[in-house]
Amino acid sequence: MATEAAAAPPQIPTFKLVLVGDGGTGKTTFVKRHLTGEFEKKYIATLGVEVHPLQFTTSFGTICFNVWDTAGQEKFGGLRDGYYIQGQCGIIMFDVTSRITYKNVPNWYRDLERVCEKIPIVLCGNKVDVKERKVKTGAVTFHRKKNIQYFEISAKSNYNFEKPFLWLARKLVGNPALEFVAAPALAPPEVQVDQQLMAQYEEQLKSAAAQPLPEDDDDII
Amino acid sequence: MGDFKTVGQQFVNFYYSTFDSGRANLAGLYRDTSMLSFEASEIMGTQAIIEKLSSLPFQKVQHRVDTMDTQPSNSQGGLMVLVTGALLVDDSTNPLHFCQVFQLLPHDGSYYVQNDVFRLNYG
Repeated sequence: MATEAAAAPPQIPTFKLVLVGDGGTGKTTFVKRHLTGEFEKKYIATLGVEVHPLQFTTSFGTICFNVWDTAGQEKFGGLRDGYYIQGQCGIIMFDVTSRITYKNVPNWYRDLERVCEKIPIVLCGNKVDVKERKVKTGAVTFHRKKNIQYFEISAKSNYNFEKPFLWLARKLVGNPALEFVAAPALAPPEVQVDQQLMAQYEEQLKSAAAQPLPEDDDDII
Repeated sequence: MGDFKTVGQQFVNFYYSTFDSGRANLAGLYRDTSMLSFEASEIMGTQAIIEKLSSLPFQKVQHRVDTMDTQPSNSQGGLMVLVTGALLVDDSTNPLHFCQVFQLLPHDGSYYVQNDVFRLNYG
């Protein structure tokens, strides 16, 4: 005789991921790369939010991030608290080809921290496929001041797509040994990154981490 | 000047079609005493209002008006207009609901916007 517990579908651990950052930094492009999430997304009109369930197969089983993406309301003014409430992890995105979007990172961080308090947060510098960068790898220091993680990504090429999710999954599960054991289906790359250049950026990230932080706390550029 | 409902209707048609095709061209509707509340921002005067609208970081926007209500507001022929509707920004296919109130005041045979209050409606 089957018990009720055996008949119930397995519960996949699910976390609300709040995606923030200036309009035009590529948040929607980024989240749409994950094809099953894109297929199962739901628009909640009353909140002006599109929720993408992004599943990843880890060495400890499946994990699901319910990624909240706006319908563009951040382009009219700040986001309201309802967007952040009960967020369990966050991604702050800026565009490495636009200084102002990096300058606004502290504002997004402040709003996220104010409502969510001490959740794991990843800072993502998007569009590193573009050769004419305005925010150089070594100039990104905000994450070190706040002790959050930083990744350089290129949504259009899928470069480093999984990195932010892997880091967040390890934090949320509390196990730094967690690995992704199967690649999620991603949309085909629209651009190619220059692998040599990416290796250079990764070197610069390592050496920047060894540098002392700039003195002035407010001047993050 | 026509009856107040016709004026309100013509104004609303003109306002949103101009906003969606080139919002800097709305300057002629405002005066230096005009006030705009736009989400959390409060702005006064034609120049500052147009700067604010022009600086909004989207390339494309498309408004759809769902309802509009008009009332005479004072004995000089002023009008109150309340609009509700939905809009799409840039490549988003998810509509955002909005409401907007205008007070139009007559001047030299035409009207200008004395008050303009805009809010998105979402939780």
